[in-house]
Amino acid sequence: MSGSQLAKELEALIGSANVRSDASALAAYSHDATPLFDGIPEVIVTPQSTSDVVKIVKYAAESKTPIIPRGAGSNLCAATVPLKGGIVLSMTSMSKVLEVNKSEMLAVVQPGVTNLELDQLVEKENLRFVPDPGSRNVSTLGGNVATSAGGLRGLKYGTTKNYILGLEAVLGTGEVVRTGGRLVKDVAGYDVTRLLVGSEGTLAVFTEITVALVPRPTDSKYGVAYFDDLASAAACVDSIISSGVLPSTLEFLDNTCVVAVEEFANLGLDTKAGALLLFGDDGEGDVVTHTVEKMAKIAEKSAGIRGVTLAQNVAAAEALLYARRCSLPALARLGSLSILEDIAVPRPAMAEVVRRIEAIGAKFELRIGTFGHAGDGNLHPTIVINKDDSQEVIRAEQALAEIFALAIEFNGTITGEHGVGSAKLPFLEGKIGKANMDLQRSIKSVFDPANILNPNRLGS
Amino acid sequence: MSEKFSQDKLDRCISCGYCLPACPTYQLTGAEESSPRGRITLMRAVQSGKLEPENLLAESGFCLGCRACEPVCPAGVEYGVLLEEAREILWQGKNRPLIIRGLFLIVGNKLGMKLLGLLSPMAKERKSNPELHLMLGCFERRLYPDVSKAAAKLAPEVSVCKEQGCCGALHAHNGELEKGKEMARQLGEQLPGTIITTAGGCAAHLSSVIGRDRVKEFSEYWSTKESSVSKVQNNGHTIRVGLQDSCHLRNGMGVTQEPREILKQLGDYVEIPNAGGCCGAAGSYSLLQKPNSRKVVSQKVKDIAALNLDYVATVNPGCTRQLVTELRRAKVKTKVIHLAELVAMGIK
Repeated sequence: MSGSQLAKELEALIGSANVRSDASALAAYSHDATPLFDGIPEVIVTPQSTSDVVKIVKYAAESKTPIIPRGAGSNLCAATVPLKGGIVLSMTSMSKVLEVNKSEMLAVVQPGVTNLELDQLVEKENLRFVPDPGSRNVSTLGGNVATSAGGLRGLKYGTTKNYILGLEAVLGTGEVVRTGGRLVKDVAGYDVTRLLVGSEGTLAVFTEITVALVPRPTDSKYGVAYFDDLASAAACVDSIISSGVLPSTLEFLDNTCVVAVEEFANLGLDTKAGALLLFGDDGEGDVVTHTVEKMAKIAEKSAGIRGVTLAQNVAAAEALLYARRCSLPALARLGSLSILEDIAVPRPAMAEVVRRIEAIGAKFELRIGTFGHAGDGNLHPTIVINKDDSQEVIRAEQALAEIFALAIEFNGTITGEHGVGSAKLPFLEGKIGKANMDLQRSIKSVFDPANILNPNRLGS
Repeated sequence: MSEKFSQDKLDRCISCGYCLPACPTYQLTGAEESSPRGRITLMRAVQSGKLEPENLLAESGFCLGCRACEPVCPAGVEYGVLLEEAREILWQGKNRPLIIRGLFLIVGNKLGMKLLGLLSPMAKERKSNPELHLMLGCFERRLYPDVSKAAAKLAPEVSVCKEQGCCGALHAHNGELEKGKEMARQLGEQLPGTIITTAGGCAAHLSSVIGRDRVKEFSEYWSTKESSVSKVQNNGHTIRVGLQDSCHLRNGMGVTQEPREILKQLGDYVEIPNAGGCCGAAGSYSLLQKPNSRKVVSQKVKDIAALNLDYVATVNPGCTRQLVTELRRAKVKTKVIHLAELVAMGIK
């Protein structure tokens, strides 16, 4: 079917105002935030309601047209690049917060609401929506659920999967299911909610999401410790956690990142340090002060320590957090293309894995900066290259394959929080094994028998 | 294919999408192609030959050019420059709007500028500090001559030279980037030393060509002066006053606090919601894209009406014109006034 014919038929279903197929719209949706992946869709549709979604999905199932559900397109695994054409189902028009319930500590939202919008709204009730992916000011709840987005609070609070109580979703057949509900305890039937969280648009399209909220902490404090090398920083993290502290923030930057950030932002960082560890906690005033001071004391006594500073005020704390947040753009400035990876390993293996990543960088003559979440073992090795140097692109891809193998070797994973998408699909079987791959395929065929929902990705 | 956009500027974008919530046209439409990231994707597709340049034409016109995407960009993408390049590529020949051709004719030559000045009595010629000059603007001198008069009165040390051209911002923003830069350089030669301007948009363009250190927007300049102003009264009460930021002053030059501090001395300052958001004037935008310009400003008109202000102060003539027109249309009584004129009222 020609693109224009497809657009006409969809217009008849949901109205011409919600269907676009001009060349500029198609080009704009040919990318998400993942470098090196692009594909032109045939049409962009923006459903306004669950019934619009049902109509579109039923039509697509009958005509065997791929559907790529999309939120803000800020994912880093090419989960929303239309590699095989089809319909981009842009969910950003369904962006209402339907309910914020303080006594039940939950909110009910449509999938197009952004993470930050929701958190700012529930802040008025002294509540917090916990998951805080780096993209939170733009990424949508639908996208957060589809990738089970993580963030900086994983160790203490968990990730998106821990905060989804219930879903309304449209299956690949056009049937609408409601999973879970409004309860913390609910074991009626298989936990389909948990299965759909992280399904990357391959099993169903979310049309309504019920999220759990927590009381908003009143205080937070931060400090920074510098170490001679990353192994010392990792050992310090182990000491902190085995001392019984469960802090909200334990983030690290390697020397490459520290130097890049300092050149970019002039924050007065110790650029001679092999590693920077940002630590912090949130909660009630005295408790937070106690926890952060305890962490500082442990750091001071750690081997390889160069210095520890506590942020004395909000501005100083903001500067430290900024150093962590601007790691990626600071690194990105060093080349024309940056590939941000997302492995996770058991915490005790972290130091060795980072050392091996450095060795891989040297072997393939690549600049790799690594930063990440020291508390939960989630590492973001970032390869910065010149995109016009085809040899360098190939070497980067070879290095990535070795980094994924390295993560698996240490009982880790190929992706901690970004997702599989198209970028990591070739490595998925290496992580989960053939039997599990077959199981995933079987699951997909039940939810989406026509194989139209984000085909050629998870379970396809 | 020859290079069209500055490749290094296109490469800077990491497609993270942080710009989406800041973009007025994305907020209106929710459409990726109407966001800064989406437009850069289109520019890249044009650059690599995957997309015909014509397909970028509509978006190059729909974009306000407000540059609200720049301060929120973690990667430091110079979107404003990329937009200027896009318009230079696209707004040629039949694609150049007639209104723009007319405006170029007027401000692009000496006679046109002289006429604009003759039609309205602006600040008088005078020789004061030879290293300090007041810029008179192009359409500003015709539409709002009282602004330059107020600025001249407030700063007697500043020289006023009537033989001065347009800064070229109009050209640079509408498809004649090189000519726009050349005009800025000429103005920089006509007015040696520091140039003081009452137009945020002109300040940003001029400083991008002749250097940030040579350009001072009026509120920036006034903040450095020793002065004492008293609260402005209206019918026996101290005025309630808000500010409409100038997009390019805010997003291009980072000037946000100075006008607010001045207004706090002149009255009861009230921050208008989204004061830093574009009012839809956006240079020639209110002429070229009238319906969209009105869509952009509509929430602002409601917000201003709800605050029951005596004055909205502006720091750019385009914003003045847009707000005067739209507040009048909505029958909102709040008066629109340039910051320099309000300061003059506080000096009396």
